[in-house]
Amino acid sequence: MSGVDEGLGFPIHRTTLSNGLRVVAAPDPSFPVVAINLWYGVGSKDERPGRTGFAHLFEHMMFQGSAHVSKNGHFEHVERAGGSLNGSTWFDRTNYYETLPAHQLDLGLWLESDRMGFMVEAMTQEKLDNQRDVVKNEKRQRYDNQPYGDWDEHLQQLMWPSDHPYHHTVIGSMEDLDAASLDDVAAFFRTYYVPNNAVLTVAGDAPPEAVFAAAERWFGELPRGEDPPPVPGRVDVGAVIGSTRRTDLDRDVPLPRLVVGLRIPPFTDPRFEAVDLAAQILGQGRGSRLYRSLVREQRIARTASAFALPLTAGGSTLLVFVTGYPETDLDALQAALFAEFDAMAEVTDAEVERARVLAAAREVRSLESMAHRADLLSMYTTIFDDPGRLNTTLSRIDAVRTEQVRAVARDFLGADNRAVVAYRPEGGAR
Amino acid sequence: MNGVDRSGPPPAGPLRPFRAPPIERRVVAADIPLFVVRIPRLPVVTAALVLRGAGETAAAPGEEGRASLTADALDGGTKRRSGTALAEALEAVGADASVSAGWDSTTASVSSPADRWGEGLDLLAEMVLAPGFPADEVDRSRDQALARVQQRSKDPSALAADRSAALFYADGERYARPLQGTDESLRALDRGSLASWAEARYRPGSAGLVVVGDVDADEVERVAGSILAGWEGAAPVPPAPLGRGRFPDRGVHVIHRPGSVQSELRLGHPGAARGIPDHAELVVANSILGGTFGSRLNMNLRETRGFTYGVRSNFAFRRGPGPFTVSTAVDTAVTAEAVSEAVKEVERYHRDGPTDDEVRSARDYIAGVFPLRLETTGRVAGRVSELFVHELPDDDWTELRERIRGVERAAAHTAIRRHVHPERLTVVVVGDADAVSGDLEALDLGPVTVHDR
Repeated sequence: MSGVDEGLGFPIHRTTLSNGLRVVAAPDPSFPVVAINLWYGVGSKDERPGRTGFAHLFEHMMFQGSAHVSKNGHFEHVERAGGSLNGSTWFDRTNYYETLPAHQLDLGLWLESDRMGFMVEAMTQEKLDNQRDVVKNEKRQRYDNQPYGDWDEHLQQLMWPSDHPYHHTVIGSMEDLDAASLDDVAAFFRTYYVPNNAVLTVAGDAPPEAVFAAAERWFGELPRGEDPPPVPGRVDVGAVIGSTRRTDLDRDVPLPRLVVGLRIPPFTDPRFEAVDLAAQILGQGRGSRLYRSLVREQRIARTASAFALPLTAGGSTLLVFVTGYPETDLDALQAALFAEFDAMAEVTDAEVERARVLAAAREVRSLESMAHRADLLSMYTTIFDDPGRLNTTLSRIDAVRTEQVRAVARDFLGADNRAVVAYRPEGGAR
Repeated sequence: MNGVDRSGPPPAGPLRPFRAPPIERRVVAADIPLFVVRIPRLPVVTAALVLRGAGETAAAPGEEGRASLTADALDGGTKRRSGTALAEALEAVGADASVSAGWDSTTASVSSPADRWGEGLDLLAEMVLAPGFPADEVDRSRDQALARVQQRSKDPSALAADRSAALFYADGERYARPLQGTDESLRALDRGSLASWAEARYRPGSAGLVVVGDVDADEVERVAGSILAGWEGAAPVPPAPLGRGRFPDRGVHVIHRPGSVQSELRLGHPGAARGIPDHAELVVANSILGGTFGSRLNMNLRETRGFTYGVRSNFAFRRGPGPFTVSTAVDTAVTAEAVSEAVKEVERYHRDGPTDDEVRSARDYIAGVFPLRLETTGRVAGRVSELFVHELPDDDWTELRERIRGVERAAAHTAIRRHVHPERLTVVVVGDADAVSGDLEALDLGPVTVHDR
């Protein structure tokens, strides 16, 4: 048997503090670092109309200091200790993480607990205005000034009804950001940044009893908050989009490109692993169907890729990116792509077997990074209330059968479930 | 309240020892140096075949991109299997292989499950030692490369990187031309030029093999020796580029991109080679200027002024002097002000040097993240490959952390004065020339030249 088939067997321990903070410890003394990771159960899906982009702006504010930590003190302390750190905002969650030399565990927990407990008192209008400018530049750099930078905005509008939480982007609208006030910052903090809406994971060279004691020391006194409100808007949607839809964009882009979104079951659905493997067979790597057909044989695409996002609010998204050559006709490219979607219903045993081996090997490789391991543990705890799910990943991959992949291909790759954003180079070939 | 003292950072616990895992050196097949690093944390192995005679600097003028395109085309198949059959064979053992050419080498690497690493290496060796270069696959690779060139021309950040290199370096300098070639140079390459490149350059004489992960050096020696047996010949390592600069004085160059909502900025000049004796000092010194979030440049342009999402300064360490570059993207309206602030930061730093506190902080940061950067087998393989490519002594692996710890303020300042030249900064702005040129003229940073995209 392959070493990766024997299960992972990472030691994983968990506890819950009296204020509701869930704490996960994954000791691994093989390397003298600790990866600290906090998931807050709040993302762009929780934003109200008129306040899109706020979860992400708030993430920036979390680095602007707290009662005992100066503006940018978080970065200074961690960098000085020889650590790396960041945070990110996504649809369903916001995460904060630092990897530190193992002897600096308390430093990381001091910093994280100070902003979980005492962030609002350090906020000022000046800090908010400054970070609003930084976020606007982030949007310009990553979206507005980038070829194809607006695909997600258009795709999300096609895929989800206007009252669904995935209808708007994580970066949000700049007008909404302009409207954000210090009161919004304080209210958001009180509503979502409470211990009972967070998971703290420490992976690495620290024994679980030390992790739990340190977690109690730094976080134990923070008061439990109200339970966060339900996700605004309508989460329940149909299993599929209902039709094939397309938005055409004439843009200053170098090459024609199709971005296709298919609605798939949420990450929590038992079919998700089969969807994940279907995405891999369709569009991950040089052995995938899209590479073989569109890139290698037909040569109408320069690149092609597909992957499933692990989202939870009533459904998720399988994303497909296909970039043509200057002379590629977008309609022909779409027809060729859709033919590959249709053909997925006949996926073979050999393909599924290869996909399982490769998926398992990639999963193990990804766990070399302690920070990634910690992030996965926070994710499994937040979404499934089960950090031990990390250890069963390989067996879940291994359990997927060809018939299941065919079934999800039939159910979710069809003509009733395709949203397309098509980029046509301005003044270029059609 | 349990009364924990939050008023300042808590004391650190006892420092855990960290030593870079030892490199076991062997020699296999045709005198190929083998470097094995045993890391048994997870059942994963990364193997990298490093070809020092096959970097882009070995390609003749006009053939820019020959090394990269040949490396790309290796996925098109071997003498024994088609491209698709090769991809499937790799997948079947759970291996991910990639081949890429840099300035100083071509590196073919494969990551596999530990119990199948030999099969992974065998397939990788088949790609490199027995490439097939089927004509239609070569055409596809070239079409892909040409499309990538086109894409770079529309991507403001890539455009800024390419145009600043062309402006930093003198005509005829290889570093002035894009690593992966131009539309013109790629069109001049055909199946024959790729096959002859591989024939001449993929030779063991200047090659090394790095294997990292849950493996035993004796076993690696035996397996790799058998896989590489019969591979013969030598490819000379080209001399390091001189990297001469284009301009002796300051100047501002605007690459006109009408309607840009942001300006991509690059300020710099030819920098320093990896092999300089004061490498550690320069790394510490640059970290303070623009190497971390808390650096002088980022604090000023991002956190104080909100001009940008982020700004960095960087030395691209190659066998020759790669560029020293300050890079950022800023709101169009504040372009000139951002350039002015960036130049002032560089000048001030060059004149006054860092403070003791900054040096201490930078040392601690770099020495601290050192183990973090050796966390994966892929990263360790990359670091060991760097030793081989730059012919660095083993103590660059074992002692670098200590050397960083020993950098003092005066030495860091000396390194900046030696390798950064504020009076020679070339400023490149990719943005809307109509909106930014006037303000840039008023800065007194030398003549402003507007170029078409």
